[in-house]
Amino acid sequence: MRFHMQQAFRAIILLLFAIYIIKLHYTGDILKLINPKYDVISQLGVIILLVLFVAQLQRVWSAKSEDHDDDHADHNHDHGYSSMNIKKLVSYSIVVFPLLTGFLLPPSTLNASIAEKKGAMMSITNSALNNKKEEEELAAEVESSQPEINLPDDQTQGELENPPENDLLSDDNPPDPNLDSNTYSQEEFRQMAQDLEKQSTVHMDDSVYTLNMDIISMNLEKYEGKEIVLNGFVYKEEGLKDNQFVLARFIITHCVADAGVTGFLSELDEAVDLQEDTWLEAKGTIAIQEYNGVDLPMIKITEWKKIEELEQPYIYPHGIMIR
Amino acid sequence: MFRIFRSSLIDFTGIILFGLAIFLITSSESLRDAINLPTSVYNMNTIFLSILIEALPFVLIGVVIAGVIQIFITEDHIKRWIPKNKLMAIIMSCVVGAFFPACECGIVPIVRRLVAKGVPIYAGIGFLLTGPLINPIVILSTYMAFGNDLKIALSRMIIGFFVAILIAFVISLLFKSNQLKVGLTNSSCGHTHSTPTESITRKIANVLVHSVDEFFDMGKYLIIGALLAAFVQTYISTGALAATGNGEVASSIALMMGLAYILSLCSEADAFIAASFSNVFPTASILAFLVYGPMIDLKNTMMMLSVFKARFVVTFVFIVTVIVFGTFIIVQGLY
Repeated sequence: MRFHMQQAFRAIILLLFAIYIIKLHYTGDILKLINPKYDVISQLGVIILLVLFVAQLQRVWSAKSEDHDDDHADHNHDHGYSSMNIKKLVSYSIVVFPLLTGFLLPPSTLNASIAEKKGAMMSITNSALNNKKEEEELAAEVESSQPEINLPDDQTQGELENPPENDLLSDDNPPDPNLDSNTYSQEEFRQMAQDLEKQSTVHMDDSVYTLNMDIISMNLEKYEGKEIVLNGFVYKEEGLKDNQFVLARFIITHCVADAGVTGFLSELDEAVDLQEDTWLEAKGTIAIQEYNGVDLPMIKITEWKKIEELEQPYIYPHGIMIR
Repeated sequence: MFRIFRSSLIDFTGIILFGLAIFLITSSESLRDAINLPTSVYNMNTIFLSILIEALPFVLIGVVIAGVIQIFITEDHIKRWIPKNKLMAIIMSCVVGAFFPACECGIVPIVRRLVAKGVPIYAGIGFLLTGPLINPIVILSTYMAFGNDLKIALSRMIIGFFVAILIAFVISLLFKSNQLKVGLTNSSCGHTHSTPTESITRKIANVLVHSVDEFFDMGKYLIIGALLAAFVQTYISTGALAATGNGEVASSIALMMGLAYILSLCSEADAFIAASFSNVFPTASILAFLVYGPMIDLKNTMMMLSVFKARFVVTFVFIVTVIVFGTFIIVQGLY
C-alpha cells in the first residue's frame, strides 16, 4: 500500500469546492453572486464535485503492484502521481486561491463605485431611449395593422370569459410571480401595462421592477404626476445637480460580473446630506426631466426613510417571449 | 481480504479528509474578522468568485462530457464521422456547434478531447466558435435585450456563423497538426484504459478519474482568467472607456471588440450589456461586440492556453480579431 499525498490533496480541494458552494446556498450568500435562475445548475455542479471526490478517493491509496509512474518527460496531462515540483506548487496554489478568498473574505454587494465604473447614467439614458424607440415602432405597427388595435380591449373581456385553451394552459402552469421565472408573453405585457396605468400608485417591487421600468419609460407622458414607491441605493454622478441623485439598483443576468445599473433619477432637497450607498425606501411623484437631450422619468421624492440593505440586493431582468 | 482492507481504508481516508475540510473552514471563520482590506478588494473578490461559481458547473459538465468522449469514442468513430473534404468538415463542425448548447467555458475541454481523438484542428475550431455563439438561449436573450427586436439577434447568428466558417477555413490553411500542447495527444497518455473488454463500472470510474485530471488542468486557467476579468471590472471604467469613442464606425467597432474581450461575459448574458451601449455606438459595433465576445475573450484565452500551444492561441486570437473586425467594416453599410 502506498499513500499518495497529491491525490489526497486533490480530493480535499474537490470537497472544499463542494462545501463552499453548499455553504453559499445555505447562508443565502449565493444571491450576492449569481441569478437564482442558476441555482439548480449550481447544485448539479455540487453533485458532480462530490461524485468526482468519491472517484478521486479511490486513488489516494494504491497497491504496490499497480503503482503508477507517469514521470515521462513529455507528459503534460498531469495525473498527480509524479513528484512535487515548483510548477505544480504554483498550479495548486492557483486552484486553492479562490477557496481561500471565498472562505476568508465575505462577499460584498456591488456599490456605487462599481456603478460609476459602469457608467450608470449612460445606461439609464440608453435604456430610456431604447424603450422609447420600441414604443414608437410598436405604435407604428399597430397603426399599420388596423384590426389589431381592438385586440387589447377584446382581450380584457375575453379573459374573464375564459377561452378554453387558455384555461387549460393556466391550469398546467399556474402563473408564477417568482422572481427567477419572470417571463411574460406579449399579451401579458400589454395587459400589465394597462393594469399599471389604472393604479394610482406604482409599486416598484423587485419582481416587476424592470417590467414597470419599461412600461413607464415607454409611456412617460401618461405617468407624469403619478405616485411611485420604490427602494434602492443612493448613487451620485458628476453632472447631476446638488439636489439630485440616482436611486439605483443592479440588474443581474447571470452573475454579478454582468451586472447592469438601472434606477430613477431623483430629486430631494436633503440629497446633499445623503451618503452614497445609503439604501432608501422612497415615495414620490414622477416628473419628466431632460438629461443630455433625453427625457427621463425623474422622481420628486416626498417621503423617504433609510433602510437596511436588502437581503436580496439585486433584481433580475424580465423576459418577453417571442409569441 | 485485501480488497476489504483497501475499501475500508478509502472510507477512512474520506472521513479524515472531510474532518480536515471542516476544521479548515471553521478556523477560517475566526480569521475572517481579523482581515481588513479596502472595499474595492472585496468587490473584486465578489466579482471573481461570482464568475467562478457561475462557470464552475458548466466547466464540470464539459469536463464530464470530455471524459465520456475519452472513454467511449474511438479514433475510428471520428474518422468515419468527419467528412474527408476540408470545407465540408468545417461546415459540418459549425453546424454541429450551432446545435450544441454550450457556453465558452464548458466547450474548451470538449474540443480538447475531440482534437486529441483525431478531429482535425479546423473542425475543432469551427465547433469551438459556433457552440457558445449560436444556441437557443443566446438567441432568446439577445432578442429580449434589444427590446424584442429580432433583427439584432438574427444578424448575430447569421454573421457569426459565416465568420466562424471563414476563421476555421483560415486555420485549416495555416495549421496542419493538431496544435495541442505536447503530451496532450491521446497516444502519449500512457495507460491503456479503453480496451473494449473492460467492464462498464471500470469504464465509468475511468471517465470520472479523467474528469478530475481535466478539472485540475483546466481549473487553474479558468481561475486566472476570472481573476483578470474581475480586476478589469473593478478598476477600469467601462463608462469612461465608452466615452472615448469619437463616433467613427471603425474606432467604435475596435472599442466594442476590446470591451468584449476584457469583460469576458457569458454569451447568454452579454446581450444585456451590449444593449446598454446601443445608443452610444453604431449598430455594427454592437454586433461586433456580440459576435467577438463568445468567440474569444480574456477568460477564454487563458483556458485555451491550457489546451493549445501558445503560438497557436496567439495566432488564433489574431485571426479572429482581424476577421471579425474586417467583416463588420464591410457590413456596416447594412445597419
